[in-house]
This record gives sequence, structure tokens and C-alpha cells, in this order.
Amino acid sequence: MAEAFPVVSLDTDARDAAELLASRRLPGLIVVDEKGRPHSVLPASQVVRFLVPTYVQDDPSLARVMDEPLADQVADRLAGVTVRKLLPREPVELPVVNHDDTVIEVAAIMARLRCPLVAVVKDGEILGAITASRLLELVVAAH
Amino acid sequence: MTVIAVVVFVVAYVLIATEWTHKLLAALGGAAVLLALGVTDAEHAFYSHDTGIDWDVIFLLLGMMIIVGILRRTGVFEYVAIWAAKRAKGSPLRVMILLTLITAVASAFLDNVTTVLLIAPVTLLVCDRLGINPVPFLIAEVMASNIGGAATLIGDPPNIIIASRSGLTFNDFLLHMTPLVVIELIVFTLVLPRLFKGSFDVDPDRVENVLRLNEREAIQDPRLLIKCGSVLVVVFTGFIGHSLFHLAPSVVALLGAGLLVLISGVPTKDYMTSVEWQTLLFFAGLFVMVGALVKTGVIGNLADQVGQATNGKPLLAVMLILFVSAVLSGIVDNIPYVATMSPVVLELTKSMHDPAHANALWWALAAGADFGGNATAVGASANVVAIGIALRAGNPITFWEFTRKGVVMTAITIAVAAPYLWLRYFVLS
Repeated sequence: MAEAFPVVSLDTDARDAAELLASRRLPGLIVVDEKGRPHSVLPASQVVRFLVPTYVQDDPSLARVMDEPLADQVADRLAGVTVRKLLPREPVELPVVNHDDTVIEVAAIMARLRCPLVAVVKDGEILGAITASRLLELVVAAH
Repeated sequence: MTVIAVVVFVVAYVLIATEWTHKLLAALGGAAVLLALGVTDAEHAFYSHDTGIDWDVIFLLLGMMIIVGILRRTGVFEYVAIWAAKRAKGSPLRVMILLTLITAVASAFLDNVTTVLLIAPVTLLVCDRLGINPVPFLIAEVMASNIGGAATLIGDPPNIIIASRSGLTFNDFLLHMTPLVVIELIVFTLVLPRLFKGSFDVDPDRVENVLRLNEREAIQDPRLLIKCGSVLVVVFTGFIGHSLFHLAPSVVALLGAGLLVLISGVPTKDYMTSVEWQTLLFFAGLFVMVGALVKTGVIGNLADQVGQATNGKPLLAVMLILFVSAVLSGIVDNIPYVATMSPVVLELTKSMHDPAHANALWWALAAGADFGGNATAVGASANVVAIGIALRAGNPITFWEFTRKGVVMTAITIAVAAPYLWLRYFVLS
């Protein structure tokens, strides 16, 4: 069920991570710690959220007052930032499943954590990941 | 019963001030204990103006929260703030002065927390565009909000409590507090460059970033803006025409809120989310606890002692209330402070022969509590809200960073208020 999936570390440059997400149209990235163990999943939506200044999140009407060149500068927010900074401040439960978990177990984790992908591990080692689209593919194929 | 009332009140007050528990839990818990032990009862807690929940205050706040909840959807505040920043031509000092003045004026008509919630995102945007530190701007705006809120009956919750307890009208506040606030704002504006020295350096190339903001885009629904403007005119006519219409401010606010809900078509859940139910319940719990102190005679005794301490001298009493209020409001939230002190001041006014002196006591309480809110980072709810916004934006404001400026500003505003009260109510009255 698991597919090979790119991983990034906590200290990976945020811009590199964003480019990886963009170039391969990924729903998110698996983040590993210094020892290569799964640390968290960085959903692409979280990176998008980081691009939006907090003042625009607080007052969405401010997004309209910026013209196109000003709005384009949002990518500057990734400069000099690592993946660690992109992750939510509050620690969230790691979306991880065992290599022998069933489709419904994987779906339950995704639904509960609202995460577009889960890391698949065996004996603490990452085997790959399952994305929401891969999961749906398997579910539909079963019928 | 008196001892129980005092102990429960003190414990709840300590919990509120130290935030060991949520302030709502402390206020409602204290009220519940007093009711359970029979220190007060349903008759006194729910139906007495002197010893129970002040429904005028609760419903005035509720009405204004609904109106503001709809008003903030218009984007008018963002429009004005960005327009002002552009008029300042990117000069950080001029931006700060204009934004603080807008904040002060808005705070006179909206509650301070709402004003800060509205002005802070625009400020962060402008500072981000200019590439300057927004912290001094946010601190200055909070201070302006606490000063401006003192101007009217509805500007700051302590004023609403004072008005309800004293019987002073919207126009009384306009005649007595607004001139003081205007003077304070002039002084505040003059002090700003020194208070935030070194915060106004900007890269000239970044000024263009502010000038390119399009404030017109902030207003999405001009028809809603017109409806809100019309209802606000009606509401303020109701406040000002109190003697003509004989409608309490709470009734005017509720009618205005109802009218705006009807004509705006804003979905119920949208404007109801702007109602701070926790704040309203906190007020209710607070009123029951203070009411128990009134019922058991504690407040009367306290007023007697203050009267003896001031030896029946009105000027001394006014100055004492002004200074003590400023100090205590900096340490604890000014809402519970004023809720507690209002019955004490009410007792004191009964011993005053000159009505001007009696009213001066109320203005001293309002000025001390409202301006005192600037003294520390926890002196007023608006301060706490602004610090939270700054932290989320990655620009943390430390307790001492705020308090260093706050103590100075409070000292200045009280130093202005003292001669104002002395001249107006003792020398010239």
C-alpha cells in the first residue's frame, strides 16, 4: 500500500521544501528528526498558511488591499526559514501507520488528524507514505 | 455572613488578578458560593439594582457587541486606517500619530478590545510594508485606546458601570470626560516621539509599498456600510437624546442592534459570534459578589472609612480616588475594580453637599480606572489582546517592555487629570 515518498528534515530550507511540494504536486512532506525517525507531516496547506501573514489571517479583508506585486512578495516569507518554523507551534499527533495496517485503519488516522498523507513505518523505519489519493485509489479498486 | 462575603470576594479577586483560574470560573464560582451559603439570595442577586446583577450594563454591552459585530464586517475601519497611513506618506511618526488618533476616536464609540482587534492587523500590515518594528505602534495604539475609551459612557466597560451606578448620562460623559480626553490626547501626541524614540527609521524605498495599498478594496459591501452608518446615527441620537426619549442606554443599544440585525441580513451565527458571552457572565458573577458586599454592609463601612480618612474634604477624596484607582487598575483589571469601587463612591457622594464635588468623585474614578489601565501589560483587557496579537505575528511584547512605557504614560495622564479635576470642580465650579 505504501509508496516511496520524499522526506525532509527539520532543518531543511523552507524554500526547498516548498519547491519540492510544488514541482511534484505533493499533498505534503514527511519530516524526520536528526536520527531519521518520522517527526511529523508537513501538509502543503500548512506551507500555504505560513505564506499568509497573521494579520491577513486575522482580517481577511486586508488581502484585498494589496496589489499584485505586493501580494507576490509573500514568497519572501520563506527566505532564511527552515521546515521547523513551518510546522504548527502546538505539537500535533504524528500521522503514522504500521506497514501491515488495513485501509480502514489508515483512513481513520487520516480522517481524525485531517492529514493528506500518513507515514508508513516498520520497526521505526520509514517505508514510504500513503496519500489520500492513493488511499482512494485502493478503495475504489477494491470494488 | 459579612466575614463569608469578604473571604469569598477576596479569594475570587485574587484568583481573577493572578489568573490562577479562568476569571469567569472565579467570578461565577464566588457568586455560586455566596448564593449557596445564603449570604445573598435570588431576590437580591437577580432583581435588585443595588445588590444584584446590573442588567443595564449587561444589555448595553450585549447590544453594542452585536452592533460592532456587524459593523466590523463593513471594512470601514481598515479603509480609514489605510487611508490615514497613506496620507502620512510613509512617515512612521505620522503613521503612529494618525493610527493612534483613529484608535482613540474609535475607542470612544466601540469597546477597547474590539478597537484593538480592528487596528492591530492594519498596523501590522503597514509596518510590514515599511519594514519597521510594529511593537511601538501596537503599544501606542493600546494606550490611545485606553485613553480614548474614557471619553464616553460606552467607550470603556468601567464607564458603563459608573454610569449605571451613578445615574450619569451619555451627555454628562460628553461634557465632563470628553474635554479631559481631548487634552490627554494632545499631550499623548506630543509625548509619542520621545516615548518611542528610535522607532521611526524607515528605508525610503519601502514607503512606496504603503502608498500602493488600495483602501477602497477593504469595503466589500457599501450598502451594509450605509445601513450600519444609519443605525449608528439613530443609536447615538438615542444616547444623546436621553432626556428627550427617556430610553436607557441599554434599551437604545438593544433596539439599535435589533434594527441592524433586521435590515442588514447578516446571518445570526455571524453576529452572535461577536458576542463575548464569557465577558457578560463574568460581569454577572462580579455583580453578585459585589452586591453581597453591599448587602452585608461591607461597602458602607468601607465608604465610612474612606470618608474619615479624607476628613470630609471633597478635594482630598477626589484625588485619593484618582490616584488609588490609577495604581490599582494597573495591577488588577479595571472592570472588577470599578465594579467594587462604584458602590463605595456612591456612598461617599451621599455625604457631599455640593453636587459638583459628588460628580467629581465619579469622574476621578473613571479617569483613574481608565487611564490606570495603561500602567502595566495586564492593566486592561485591550493590553492583553494586543500582546497576544503581537506574539502570534512573531513580534513578542514582554511585560516590562509594555510596563516601562505604560507607567510613564499613566503618570502623565494622571498628572493631567488631577489639575483638570481640581480646576473644573473646585476652582471654577
